[in-house]
Amino acid sequence: MNTHHAKQTMNRLFSGIGLLCLLTVALTGCETVIDAKLDEGPSQLSVDAWITDQPGPQSVRLTQTTAYFNNGVATPATNATVVVMDEAQKLYFFTDPDNDGTYVWTPPTTTDTLARIGRTYYLGIRFQGEEYYSQSKMNRVPPIDSLIFRKEKVNPLSAEEGYQAEFYANDLPNATDYYRVRYFRNSQLQNRPQDLILAYDGAFSGSGNTDGLAFIRPIRQSINPAGLYVMNDTVRVELQSVPAEAYYFLELLNQQITNGGLFATPPANVPTNIINAKTGGKEATGFFVTSAVRTRKVVVGPATIRAK
Amino acid sequence: MMKYRLILGLLTVLSALVGTDRVRAQGQLTVSGYVKDKANGEGLIGVSVYVKEANTGAVTNNYGYYAIPLPKGQYTVTVTYVGFAKRQLPVTLTDQNVKLNIELEQEGKELAEVTVKAEREEDNVRNIEMSVNKIDVKTIQRIPALLGEVDVIRSIQLLPGVTTVGEGATGFNVRGGNIDQNLVLLDEAPVYNSSHLFGFFSVFNPDAVKDVKLIKGGIPALYGGRISSILDVRMKEGNAKKPELTGGIGLIFSRLAYERPFLKKEDGTARGSFIVAARRSYADILAQPFLNSDLRGSKFYFYDLTAKGNYKINANNTIYLSGYLGRDVFGSDFGFNWGNTTTSLRWNHVFSDKLFLNTTAFYSNYDYLLDSDLKKKEENKNDYFRWKSKIINYSLKPDFTLFLKNNTLSFGGQAIVYDFKPGTATAASSGDVRTFGLESKYAVEAALYVGNEQQIGSRLQLQYGLRYSYFNYIGPGEAYSFQTDVPVGQRRFPVLNQTKTYGRGESIQTYGNWEPRFSAKYELSDNSSFKLSYNRLAQYIHLVSNTTASTPLDVWTPSTNNIRPQLADQLAGGYFKNFGPSGNAYEASVEVYYKWMQNQLDYIDGANLLLNKYLEGDLLSGKGRAYGAEFFVKKNTGALHGWISYTLAKTERQVNGINKDKWFPSRFDRRHTLNTVLLYDPVKANGNPSRWSFSGTFVLSTGTPATFPTNQFQYQGYVVPHNADNARNNYRIPVYHRLDVAATLQGKRLRSNGKPRKNQDNWVFSVYNVYSRKNPFSVYFRQAVPEYVDKVLTSADGKVTFETKALQGSNKTEAVRYSIFATLIPSVTYNFKF
Repeated sequence: MNTHHAKQTMNRLFSGIGLLCLLTVALTGCETVIDAKLDEGPSQLSVDAWITDQPGPQSVRLTQTTAYFNNGVATPATNATVVVMDEAQKLYFFTDPDNDGTYVWTPPTTTDTLARIGRTYYLGIRFQGEEYYSQSKMNRVPPIDSLIFRKEKVNPLSAEEGYQAEFYANDLPNATDYYRVRYFRNSQLQNRPQDLILAYDGAFSGSGNTDGLAFIRPIRQSINPAGLYVMNDTVRVELQSVPAEAYYFLELLNQQITNGGLFATPPANVPTNIINAKTGGKEATGFFVTSAVRTRKVVVGPATIRAK
Repeated sequence: MMKYRLILGLLTVLSALVGTDRVRAQGQLTVSGYVKDKANGEGLIGVSVYVKEANTGAVTNNYGYYAIPLPKGQYTVTVTYVGFAKRQLPVTLTDQNVKLNIELEQEGKELAEVTVKAEREEDNVRNIEMSVNKIDVKTIQRIPALLGEVDVIRSIQLLPGVTTVGEGATGFNVRGGNIDQNLVLLDEAPVYNSSHLFGFFSVFNPDAVKDVKLIKGGIPALYGGRISSILDVRMKEGNAKKPELTGGIGLIFSRLAYERPFLKKEDGTARGSFIVAARRSYADILAQPFLNSDLRGSKFYFYDLTAKGNYKINANNTIYLSGYLGRDVFGSDFGFNWGNTTTSLRWNHVFSDKLFLNTTAFYSNYDYLLDSDLKKKEENKNDYFRWKSKIINYSLKPDFTLFLKNNTLSFGGQAIVYDFKPGTATAASSGDVRTFGLESKYAVEAALYVGNEQQIGSRLQLQYGLRYSYFNYIGPGEAYSFQTDVPVGQRRFPVLNQTKTYGRGESIQTYGNWEPRFSAKYELSDNSSFKLSYNRLAQYIHLVSNTTASTPLDVWTPSTNNIRPQLADQLAGGYFKNFGPSGNAYEASVEVYYKWMQNQLDYIDGANLLLNKYLEGDLLSGKGRAYGAEFFVKKNTGALHGWISYTLAKTERQVNGINKDKWFPSRFDRRHTLNTVLLYDPVKANGNPSRWSFSGTFVLSTGTPATFPTNQFQYQGYVVPHNADNARNNYRIPVYHRLDVAATLQGKRLRSNGKPRKNQDNWVFSVYNVYSRKNPFSVYFRQAVPEYVDKVLTSADGKVTFETKALQGSNKTEAVRYSIFATLIPSVTYNFKF
C-alpha cells in the first residue's frame, strides 16, 4: 500500500460520500469538463523506447511534446538517428523509412532477438543537432503459472455476470523485482489509465517484504476490463520485468494520469532517463526500458473456468 | 547545561516577583471567586470584573476564577460579559479577604432563546488580546450549516485569516499555516484529527461545547507546540442546577445530551455535575437503497461520545474529568476506520486567594485501521492486508495564575510523552502471511513558561512572556544518515553502515527553543485602541501529508536527527474601534501580520509517505512566509446583526528541489477572502420577538493555486502531462463563492392555558449553496478513457470468436472541474431541550 493506492482508495470512498450528500436532493455529477486556456511551452524530444527479449523486430517511437490540448496524433520526430548498443558493443540500427517517428530494428531472421536477460543496453539518439543517450538493464522475470476465470457479477448491484480473470505467478526470491503487467482481450491491448499495472516483489511498493511470495490478489485480479470477460474471449497476459528506475518512472506516470479529486498529490513532471550528451543542452522526456516478457494466453471456456 | 541555568534564573526572578509583591502588598486584601451562569452553574470564561473606585480589575480565567488585590475600603464590583446582564455588587474589605462568587443571568432570558444584545462593555477595544476570535456556541448554532448540522470548525472558517484548501477538506489553515500547525485542544487535550467524514463535520459536539477561542497571533506563553494557531475548545461542565436533556434529529445524524447536578446540598447547590453527549450518523442506513455499484453494502458512519464531570471537593479544590471518544467507519469490501480518544483530568486548586493552580493530566490517542476485507473474512483468509497506525501521548501540565495588583502572572510547564506507531501491517498472499511495519518512535516534549499581563496607567497594557521548549527524540530506535550527493528533490537513500541503534530511553536527538511572546495594547480613546504583538513558536511534531486535502491515513512524525523542528515568528499590529449608537453598536478592526516559517516539510515527487522506513529520505525542508491584512466589522445590536470580514493575504513557500528552487504560492493561498454572516431576529409589532429568526452567510474567495501542464507527450499509449518550466502552482482554479440561508422556528413558549412551557424546541430549515454553484475544489487534467467495442465473429463451422477494438480518440485530453457539491442542499433539523 503506497500513498498513491491509499489516495485512490480514499478518492473512491470520498466520491461515495459526495454521492451520499447529493442523494438528499437530485443527483448531479461532481465532475464537469471545462475549457481551460493553457500556455504552451517549447517542444522537446519525447522518447518511448521499450525493448523486449522477444524474438522479432523492436521499435522506438520518437515524438515531440505538444500543447496539452493537442488532441491529434503526436507530432513525430523524424530524421533522427537511433541506435542501440549491447555490452559487446554490437550496434543495432533503428530506421524510420516511412517518416512516422517509429524507428524499427528488423532482425536478419524472424527468430533473432535483440536483448537478453541480465545484460545492459545503451540507447543513442541524434535529433536536430542534439545527442541523447540512455541505458537500461534487462532484468529477470518469472513465468505466469496459470490464468483462470470465475463467474462473478459485473458489479455487486448488477444482475449481469461475467468472467473475472486471475493470473498466478510467484515473485522471484532473494532480490527486489519490479514488474509491469499488461493484458489483451481478443488481441486488443487494454490501456485505460487504471490498466497501467505495476508490481514490486509481487505487491504494491512500500507494502513491506513480499519477496518470493505469490503475487498479491489485487494484482492477480487487476487484469479485468470494466464488464469482465465473456465466454470464448481470448485473454493474453504479459508479465514484464522493468528496471527499478523505470518502475519509479511508471509509478509517477501512473500518479500523474490518475491524479484528480480531493486527495491529489501536487502534479509534477515525470522523470526521464534520456540524457542530453551536452550539459545544459535541450532536455528530452520519456524513458528507455528493457523488459523481459513472459506470456500466457487462454480462452474463456470450461478448461479455464473455476468454481467460486 | 546553559539552558537549565537560564530556567532556574527565570524561576528565581519569578519567586522574587511574588516575594516583592508580598512585601508591597502589606495591608492589601483580595476579593476573589468564581463567576458562573445562573441558569446552569457553568463557569464563565473571560468575564470582566472591574472595580471602578480603584480603577483595577481582572478577567476570569478558563475556569471562571478571578482575584483582585485591593486595599481596605468599600467598593462596587461591576461584572460584565457578552450576552449576560451586567451586575454591580457592593464589597467591603475590612480586615479579611472576601470570597465573592457571582452568578450572571442571561439577558432577556424570558423573551427568547437568542436575544438582541443591548450593550457590550467588555469589548475588543479594551482587551489586550489581538488576533483572537471567539464565537459563542449560540452564534455557531445560528450559522446556516451544511445538512443542518452546526459545526465548530466550519464556523471558524468564517473568521478572518482562516482558510481551507476546499470544502470537505480536513482541518483549516490559519494565516498561511498548514493544518498540522493548529493546536486543537479539547479541554486541554490535543485532538490529532478534528474531522468526521473527512472534513464535513468536526469532532466537537455542539451540545457539549461551552466556549471556542481561536488564537491566531500574540499567542500567550501558556500555549506552545504548534506554530500557527491555538483552537481552544472548552466543554460544558454540565448543568449544576437541574437535569436537562437536549438533542436534535437531523438528516445526517442525531444528537442527545444529558446533564445534571449530583450530590445536592441542603441549600440546593450541588457538589458536582456532569454532561454526557452522544451523536451518531445514520446516513449509511438511509442511503443504502440508493447506492450504486461497488458501494452497495458500504458502511460509512461516525459516532462520538463526549462526557465531562466535575466535583467540588471544597471551596479551594475542584476536579474535572472529561473524555472524548469518536470513530469514523468507512468501507465496502475494503474498509477502514479511524478516531480520536482523549481523556483529561484537571484539578483546580486555590492556594491563597491570589494564587490559582490548574493541573491537567491528559491522554490523547489517534489511530486508524485498514482492512482489505470487511465482508468476506473467511473466504479470503489466505489473501488479505491489514494495517494499523497510532499516535499516543500522555501529558502533565501545571498552570499557575497569580493575581497581583495591575499584574496577572501566569507560569507553569508541560511534559508530554509521545509514542508514535507509524504503521504495522499484516499481509497474506495465497496463504503466506507476513507481518511487517515500522518500529514505534518515542519522544518527550517539555516546556516551562512564565508570562505576565501588566496594566500600566489606564491606557497601556502589556502582556509578555517567555517559553522554553525542549524536545528529546529517544530510543529504542534506529537513526539513519542519508546520502548527501543526490540532487535536491530526488529520493535520498540511507547510508547503511552509518545507521545507529539506540537503546531504550537513550537520546537520539534533542532540540531546544526559546520562544519569546509579547503583546501591547494602547487605548487611544474609550472606544479605540492600537495593539501590537510578536511571538515565536516551535513545533516538534509534524503531519506528513502530501495530498490536496489531508487524509485520515496521514501519519504524525516526531522531529528527528533528519527532521528539524518548525519555527515561526509572527509580527502583527492592529487598530480596533467601536462606534455607532451607544458607542459600541459596531466593532471594527484592521489587523496586519507578517509570519516567517522555517523548516517546513515538503516532499519529493512520488514520495512514499506510508509504511516507509526511510521516509526521511523522501522529505524536503523549506521556508514559508505569509502576510496579509484582515478587516472585520461586527454589528452587535439591532434586529439585524452579524459580521463581515475581508482578508487580503499571501502565503508562499520556498523549497529547494521544487519549482526550480523559487518561491511559489502554497496550496491554501487565497488572495481575497470575504465572509459575511448576517443574523436577523425580527420583532413583532407588540414588541415581542418573533418565533421566526433568520440567518445567512455568504463566502467568496480566490481560487486556490494549482499546477497545470503546458505540454504533453505520449508514452506507451498514455498521454502524460508535462510542464516545460517544471513549475509548481502556476495557475489558479476559479473563484469560490456560496450563499447559505437558514430559518429557525422556535416552538411555542406558552401553553394553551397561558403558562410557560417547560420544554423548548425549535425547527431549523436551511439551504446550503442556495444558487447551486458548482464550486471548484480542484481542476485537473486527464486523457479520455479509451472505450473498447466487441465484434462477434462466427466462422463457417459455427465457432464463435470475438474481435475487440479500441474506439478512436483515446488520446483526447480534457480539463475537469471537480466539485464537492454540485447543487443546493436543503435540510431540516429538529432540536429540543427538556
